[in-house]
Amino acid sequence: MKGFFTLTILLTALALIYAASAWHLPRQLTGAQLDPLPALMLVVALRAPISAITALAIGGSLFQSALSSGPVGASLLPLYALGLIVHLNTHSLSQHHIGPRFALGAIAGGLVPAVTLGLLLLSGHEPLVGWFTLWQWSVGILGSGIFAVLFFPLLDWLDRSVEEQPLAAPYDTTTRIVRGTRFHG
Amino acid sequence: MNNRPYIIATGLVLLLAIVFFNLSPDSSARLKRVLASFHIPLFSVQKTVEATGDILVDQTAPRKVLLQEIRELKRQNQILELRLGQTQSLERENRSLRDQLQLRPKPEWNPRLTRIVGRDPANWWRSVLIDLGTKDGVRVDMPVMSSQGLVGRVQEVHDHRSRVALLGDPACRISVTIEATGESGIISASGGTVFDPTLVKLLYLPANTEARAGDQLYTSGLGEIFPRGIPVGKLTAVATAPGALTTQASVKLSVNSSKLNEVWVLMP
Repeated sequence: MKGFFTLTILLTALALIYAASAWHLPRQLTGAQLDPLPALMLVVALRAPISAITALAIGGSLFQSALSSGPVGASLLPLYALGLIVHLNTHSLSQHHIGPRFALGAIAGGLVPAVTLGLLLLSGHEPLVGWFTLWQWSVGILGSGIFAVLFFPLLDWLDRSVEEQPLAAPYDTTTRIVRGTRFHG
Repeated sequence: MNNRPYIIATGLVLLLAIVFFNLSPDSSARLKRVLASFHIPLFSVQKTVEATGDILVDQTAPRKVLLQEIRELKRQNQILELRLGQTQSLERENRSLRDQLQLRPKPEWNPRLTRIVGRDPANWWRSVLIDLGTKDGVRVDMPVMSSQGLVGRVQEVHDHRSRVALLGDPACRISVTIEATGESGIISASGGTVFDPTLVKLLYLPANTEARAGDQLYTSGLGEIFPRGIPVGKLTAVATAPGALTTQASVKLSVNSSKLNEVWVLMP
């Protein structure tokens, strides 16, 4: 069932990345492209095992690369690093209220693009960088915070939907059958 | 805590990252083609939804508006037919003169309209996806334009989709000519702002250039990727630095690619 949950997360990532690419309105309004992956990784890292985090980092970065003219798997390491750090600190992170959820999402949305940009520059690529990058980064932080607030209930619902439910017994298992002495003679 | 799964996962991710960052451009393009196949069902859904939306809009358009549009289109068609006649006459004259001067005939371009189906999901690149691919005859480096001017060039081709690197992307540097002075320069990647992605830099102009703000730019035809004479934009400022070997200029592109929904691919 965990495998099915991982598959569901990957399909969600695929749909979200595609929607971010095909839906132009946020980009036209803000001048920045919103990336749902950091927020999704944050929520998955708080709920799922390391196998799901690895699958999402690999799958998510590859799905994104398929639609981008950048190098393949550019965001793989930043996404995985985020997932691993959050997963190892799950118990010390507050995640039950909207405020902390937004803050965690915003931090994730700030870290992943910054590290990705650093890796692109270090590996000799020529990404478009300028003063407008600061604005795009700020919009990304805000967007990722909002995404995180939305993804927490979504992941809860997905988890419940694919979780194995106990089968209903055909009789009441709490009933004890007690034999009377008169039947034994 | 059992550390083994964490070590295996980290090792796998590091290994993949090293492999991905060292892929050759050809292998990278092939891998992207394979990965793009995961998006095909979503592309199909998007196409169906858009087609259904178009049908619904067509159905709900009032008859009065449609008749008015037909009248306007008929009027425009008559003007365009007149202009076409003039252009054909000029074309014949041009061909005859080229024959007399024994110049190589100019290649004819066959424009094909296509829809933009997606934009680059990263902020670092300027590219769009169009719904024409190798099966439709699209090849790498074909010019892409709109009615206002040049948009970019085909960067990657898949079976039914292609990626177009837009002007202003590092993968789309083109040679342009200033109409007023005849000088050539290269359109570079930098220069845009958040809300005006149509601003780019023009590099390698002569140090003693006479170009001025407001001068029109056209494709130079050098490199034989783009046909000569496609509008690119106009100069907004020329920055001459004393002692410098070349001059830089700011350019406002003719086409704001962020507002485009359809483009033309020029096929030979």
